[in-house]
Amino acid sequence: MQELSGERTPMKKNSAVNIVFLAPCVLTFIMIIIIPFFFGLYYSVTDWNGVSDDVAFVGLKNFRGLASSPDFIYSFLITIAYTLINIVFINIVSFILSLIVTSKIRRRNFYRSGFFVPYLIGGIVLGYIWQFILNNILVKIGTTYSIAFLETSFLSMPNTVIWTMAVVNTWQYAGYIMLIFVAAIQSIPSSLMEAANVDGANYFHRVIHILIPMMANAFTISIFLTLTTSFKQFDMNMTLTNGGPATRFMDAPVKASQLLAMNIFNTATANRMAEAQAKAVVLFIALLIVSLIQVSVNKKKEVEM
Amino acid sequence: MKKKLLNMVAISLMLVLAAGTVFGAGTKEAEKETTVNMFQLKVEIKDAIDEYAATYSAATPGVTVKVETLGGGADYGGALKAKAQAGQMPDIFVIEGRGGYDIWKDYIADLSDQSWVADTDLAFKVDGKVYGFPVAIEGYGLAYNADILAKAGIDPAKLTTRAAYEQAFKTLEAKKAELGIDAPVAMAASVAGGMWWVAAQHNLACYWGGGLDFNDTSIIDMALQGKLDDERFLQYAKYLQLLFKYADQKILLNGSYDDQVGAFAQGKTAFLHQGNWVDPNLKQLGVTFPIGYAPHAFLDTEQTGLYLFAPSWYCVNEKSPNAEAAKAFLTAMATTAEGHDYMVNKAGMIPAFKSVKLQPAGQLSQALMAANAKGGNYGVFFGMLPDGAGQNVFGPIFDLFAQNQNNLNQFIADMKKAVANLPNM
Repeated sequence: MQELSGERTPMKKNSAVNIVFLAPCVLTFIMIIIIPFFFGLYYSVTDWNGVSDDVAFVGLKNFRGLASSPDFIYSFLITIAYTLINIVFINIVSFILSLIVTSKIRRRNFYRSGFFVPYLIGGIVLGYIWQFILNNILVKIGTTYSIAFLETSFLSMPNTVIWTMAVVNTWQYAGYIMLIFVAAIQSIPSSLMEAANVDGANYFHRVIHILIPMMANAFTISIFLTLTTSFKQFDMNMTLTNGGPATRFMDAPVKASQLLAMNIFNTATANRMAEAQAKAVVLFIALLIVSLIQVSVNKKKEVEM
Repeated sequence: MKKKLLNMVAISLMLVLAAGTVFGAGTKEAEKETTVNMFQLKVEIKDAIDEYAATYSAATPGVTVKVETLGGGADYGGALKAKAQAGQMPDIFVIEGRGGYDIWKDYIADLSDQSWVADTDLAFKVDGKVYGFPVAIEGYGLAYNADILAKAGIDPAKLTTRAAYEQAFKTLEAKKAELGIDAPVAMAASVAGGMWWVAAQHNLACYWGGGLDFNDTSIIDMALQGKLDDERFLQYAKYLQLLFKYADQKILLNGSYDDQVGAFAQGKTAFLHQGNWVDPNLKQLGVTFPIGYAPHAFLDTEQTGLYLFAPSWYCVNEKSPNAEAAKAFLTAMATTAEGHDYMVNKAGMIPAFKSVKLQPAGQLSQALMAANAKGGNYGVFFGMLPDGAGQNVFGPIFDLFAQNQNNLNQFIADMKKAVANLPNM
């Protein structure tokens, strides 16, 4: 713009414009993220029920209760398990997909958009669609052709439900991560690959020794994204399994697929706002620690050109 | 110059936008007349209540009633909290039981002096004072398809003990192919299908109130102290086990509301564990066969009553300047011919007021109304439990029992433990 108009405006004059343009975003960010965040921290150490004005300070009582509540511990563990499964599934699948769509295969642009489309379907809708597929279509196929393992829905078995959710989430999310990988692959100079080819390295060697180290920064991003989204998974969890079926943990019946976010939601809707807030703080701290470790470990593995 | 102009335009646009967001929320029109805001959660009566509110507003000078509806699985409680925080607490709102009362008691007006109080048994009361206007009577027993029972040679009038049910279920199970049914009962208990409330709320209510006087809360009072009546609970658990064993297993373990009601409507099951709220669904599904209600008879002794309750109550916001207008609106609903016409004919509900003489259209609603007139029914007290007890505590226990139906002792042990923890919730 500046070069085109030929005018030279000192930076100072622009700062007013900058402030005006930034103000709505900053203001909104403060109003809906920063202030509620500190309110949330405050409410987690009170007995607030969501309505009453007289809020009493109760210290760490809400947090202490969590350590002995089977449903919370179970939700915490199952969320970690779900996140690990997801990181592995999504990254492997999307890496393979990105190799496919950057190869010389015909109609690769069609595949690119095809793999990306599931990401555009909202998690709520997607959950209902897959619930129908898993509960009705697969079971119908199973009973019609007497295929034993399809006769009961994967969603009704406590041991398979987390895996099923991870598969559905991979189906949704792999296309998006694939795009990140594709961008990384395309930014690698083709001369590197060609040189290796001339030196006699086969396809696998080239992928493992050149491609993967060269795109390590893409892995940092994609693992971070899959980690945080899986940890915070809610919408698909709600519509696909609703937390069910029940299973036994620490000698108490708990909901087998109730991830942490949904556990918080169910606590809050039972009018236990302060307790739910304490759970949310635990989720935040856990997520913060895990993702900081992940990013710093991954960063060390990145290669500079 | 052109660029400066553009800058000016951009800046002023941003300012306008920012000002709009900051001040837009605060503007209020000057109103001379009273506007009563109502916020309710029954989606199925939205059109009917909007129409009634409009009629009432037209007939009452100086008062306009505005109804906002949020429901159908949406988070009504959360939305109401947001309204309260925003200083937009409605004049009439809904509570669903003791849990809601405890949350909102600062706002709830005492309605004991209202004229409709003497006309109903189902007003929401705490310590003898009336705080809630009963929205409707809902109720349930075990709904049956009279054609299938007749074909199988079962007399529904004799289903008054657990032994009689066991016999009937066995007969139906043996004649499944002949009758063209998948299973005797359409019952749902799964957390996954969002159907925990059928088992862990409505069926469990048989234990809380079945076979007792309509207002006898002794069993649930005992539970709120942390104790189960072992002998009574054993009989109840055996009845539940019976229902589970003879239920369509796919619906039981994973089915949704539509699966459950659909199976019964298509004649694939002889019994349906649902209340009279399924009437509109059955009509939609084109059901023509005659339907009736048999009692949930879980005791060894005879039980003949159905379970009747008000699922929710309208409360008046005491802090609102429009409280009197809001009370007048509710009174008109309960006492005028237009109000009765709205409740029965337009909204298809069974009013909780004895002076209403109109008949609802649905078969199950008619059966309930007949039972209500006959008397000897049982109260439904799950609304007295702490919030979340049904969904987060009992729900998984019932789901697990549905998965392991032979493990009766484990179920009883789990329930004992859960009830022992109720006083701490």
